[in-house]
Amino acid sequence: MNDYLKLQGVRKLFGDACVLDNVDLEIREGELVTLLGPSGCGKSTLLRCIAGLTELDGGSIMLAQKDVTRQPPRDREVGMVFQSYALFPNLTVGQNVEYGMKMRGMSKAAQRTRSEELLALVDLEEKRDVYPQSLSGGQQQRIALARSLAVQPKVLLLDEPLSALDAKIRKNLRTEIREIQKRLGMTTLFVTHDQEEALIVSDRVCVMKGGRIIQDDSPEGLYTAPRTEFVARFMGSYNVFTRPEALKLFGRVDSSADSFALRPEAITLLKAGEAAAAEEEGRILLDASIHSVSMLGNIIRCTAEASGIRLTVDVLNDGSWLRLREQDQVTLVLDPAQLRHLEREGA
Amino acid sequence: MKQNRRGGVILALIPFVLMVLAFQLVPVLSMVSNSFHSGDGKGITFGNYVHAMQSAYYMQAIKNSLFISIASSVAGIAIGLVCAYCITRFTPAVRDRVLMVSNMTSNFAGVPLAFAYIILLGNNGIFTLLFKDWGWDVFAGFNLYSWTGLALVYVYFQVPLSLLLLYPSFYGIREQWREAAALLGAGRWQFWKTIGLPMLAPAIFGTMGILFANAMGAYATAYALVGGNYNLLAVRIGSLVAGNVVTQPEMGSTLAVLLALTTLLAVYLNHVMVRRSGRFVARAADKPQPKASVVRRLRPRAREELGQ
Amino acid sequence: MNTRKAGLAPRVLILLLMVYLLVPLLATGLYAFAQDWQNSLLPRAWTFDWFIQMFQDLRFMEALWTSLYLCLISVVVSLVVMLPAVFVITMYFPRWESLMKGIVVLPYAVPGVVAAVGLIRTYSSGPLNIAGTSYLLVGAYFVVILPYMYQGIRNSLLTVSAAELLQAAELLGARRRQAFMNVILPNIWPGVMVSALLSFSVLFGEFVLTNMLVGGHIQTIQIYLYKRVGESGHLASAIAISYFVFILVLSMVLMKLGKKMGGVRG
Repeated sequence: MNDYLKLQGVRKLFGDACVLDNVDLEIREGELVTLLGPSGCGKSTLLRCIAGLTELDGGSIMLAQKDVTRQPPRDREVGMVFQSYALFPNLTVGQNVEYGMKMRGMSKAAQRTRSEELLALVDLEEKRDVYPQSLSGGQQQRIALARSLAVQPKVLLLDEPLSALDAKIRKNLRTEIREIQKRLGMTTLFVTHDQEEALIVSDRVCVMKGGRIIQDDSPEGLYTAPRTEFVARFMGSYNVFTRPEALKLFGRVDSSADSFALRPEAITLLKAGEAAAAEEEGRILLDASIHSVSMLGNIIRCTAEASGIRLTVDVLNDGSWLRLREQDQVTLVLDPAQLRHLEREGA
Repeated sequence: MKQNRRGGVILALIPFVLMVLAFQLVPVLSMVSNSFHSGDGKGITFGNYVHAMQSAYYMQAIKNSLFISIASSVAGIAIGLVCAYCITRFTPAVRDRVLMVSNMTSNFAGVPLAFAYIILLGNNGIFTLLFKDWGWDVFAGFNLYSWTGLALVYVYFQVPLSLLLLYPSFYGIREQWREAAALLGAGRWQFWKTIGLPMLAPAIFGTMGILFANAMGAYATAYALVGGNYNLLAVRIGSLVAGNVVTQPEMGSTLAVLLALTTLLAVYLNHVMVRRSGRFVARAADKPQPKASVVRRLRPRAREELGQ
Repeated sequence: MNTRKAGLAPRVLILLLMVYLLVPLLATGLYAFAQDWQNSLLPRAWTFDWFIQMFQDLRFMEALWTSLYLCLISVVVSLVVMLPAVFVITMYFPRWESLMKGIVVLPYAVPGVVAAVGLIRTYSSGPLNIAGTSYLLVGAYFVVILPYMYQGIRNSLLTVSAAELLQAAELLGARRRQAFMNVILPNIWPGVMVSALLSFSVLFGEFVLTNMLVGGHIQTIQIYLYKRVGESGHLASAIAISYFVFILVLSMVLMKLGKKMGGVRG
């Protein structure tokens, strides 16, 4: 009842290659879910299956309690925004936004009111009569968003909508998209390969690999508790240890896992000699030497070598570490409680 | 549903398939099969081909055609190469004007071209009479309606084509390579020998294929200029099939198949060469690499442009 | 090395090339306006007589008309057949693309004489005896312009990313035919027009197939020109130069159109 969009056992083969392997996914009304994964993981194909642009080889798709598996795209009431905008170059901005309503036979006046409303929503009212080619990439994408929202789709699909834009516009537009989505309560599925983007905009993130969803979690959950090595590595600078490495660093670990992950900001860095003052219950102290240092702005990221194992450590740049240099001797403080026990791939 | 979605659109292909079958595939197949028919219409035979090979007359036509095609292509390539290089030394504005003129004159072919040469160098041509008047006897032995005349006209329509096909490859040779080669101690000539010409080689051979096929198939120019006086394969085929002499369709088909084989081979050579130079270009591309799918789409286009 | 400054040798060579390419054209042009031109570098007296004669010649006007409508019909037939076919292959059956390409580039590789032999073989006897008719010629012309039309339509479809436009339109509720008519067609139209004009000018200069297939029955401008060459040089010059100017105007229109389209997208 609660599941507005429900995929069950979705399969897709391209020749012999299995692009989607029994994917199940449920999305509640008004939720923004992100499909995150490297290129070729099947995330865009899944989106196109929901839109009806790609046919399934198995499974079913329910949208608002209606089976749409066999329906052609135009009957699904699904809105989609493409990576390359796909605005019709022969139509003005206004005509582009009105296109879907025209196809549904709405009256001219209603089309006009609605398109004005949407152009106001994306803050481009004054561009109504120009042709899309004369707009910037970010503006074109906002028009594409308005066009797909104009027909009040049941679900909005965004296929890497920001990846053709440059970094600054990308950041602005993603917050804008999120705000519009929240304001309209639009059920949305967002595809991206950028983990930062996924964490920022989503209610829920599904990480995909090899045609399967391998972790479906809230952004916080995903970041703090990656379940497999793949997710840990994909989320960024996680330290990933093999079992022997973990044993060497922590002395003992309370699980049978084969690999372990530790966030770089969960490691505390102390200057050699300061160590005693910071000793706490259960913490592990290790002597290490700095291998490299890079300034990321508010964070200093360094790699340190302890017991022959290299670790990435993030330190808040509060001014106390200005003189951190390569070859410096330091002490690392590790908290065993922060060590993530990773599941085996495919388990 | 899959069938349904596609079933409707397949109807759109029917007129195309019918037209191509009726006016391209069936005629070609009928011609090929006809070339294996004996004159009395019974059985399959290689007799026509044997006959063509043994007939001094037909062999002469083949030899003449091959010879004039090779000669005019080589001359076209030589002139085209030199001019293409020269073009790169000018400003873009001058370059575009030169290219426009050669593009324009490449439209000037066939009957009108033959006619222009008759006005200039025919028996009563302006230059013929002028030279006679001035007492220049360098051209006394020249006869437009002979091999030399025909070759002159062929070269005329080969040069613009050669120039248009070759000049883009000169732009593929980047200034930085010359500079890099110079810094590494290569002289001007050494650069061309070791880098420039190898880079151009596929384009040269590919263009050669197009020019050759172009000359082998040329009919209008030769027909209008020398009519039946000079024995060429294309003209021979024409007279065998539709001409008012002896109509021998089987022989016409046989010679036509032989002609088509040489041009197909030449165009295939071009195809292979363009693919090879495509590899160079892909690696040497100045622009950021587009997506693989885009590259795949664009490459055949370049090939076809060369096919013109 | 400086690429901008042309040395003496390139200048002389390009000048020679220009002279070589332009002299036959200029001579034809001058000859068409010359009253009498013998034993002198330039004609002694000028006249418009040859052009007047040309336009007074009924056979010329007929040949011109025949050429125009045959070429036009062939291009229209090609548009009607090729537009849906190329669209369907590119959008729905990309796997067949290489087959289609193989078929349409064949006319590049097969000379006109050879094509004519096959067509005469097939249609001079048997159930479909259309030898010497304009039906056969239009069919032959259709094949001649296949490569130009195919390439033009396909490139236009790719430059406007027709697949995505089509999907976007379908998601917005358009039927396939609607999407084709009001989204795809208007966007590819300029590119398609360019290849249609190009095809037209190719056909206008066609001689081999016309002469061999229908030479005795139908006179196009090329056939007419061929027949007049032997009669009056000056008149033939006038025809040749008018023909050339016509083709020139056509290709200039083509270039303008091409540039305009480049400008819109660039």
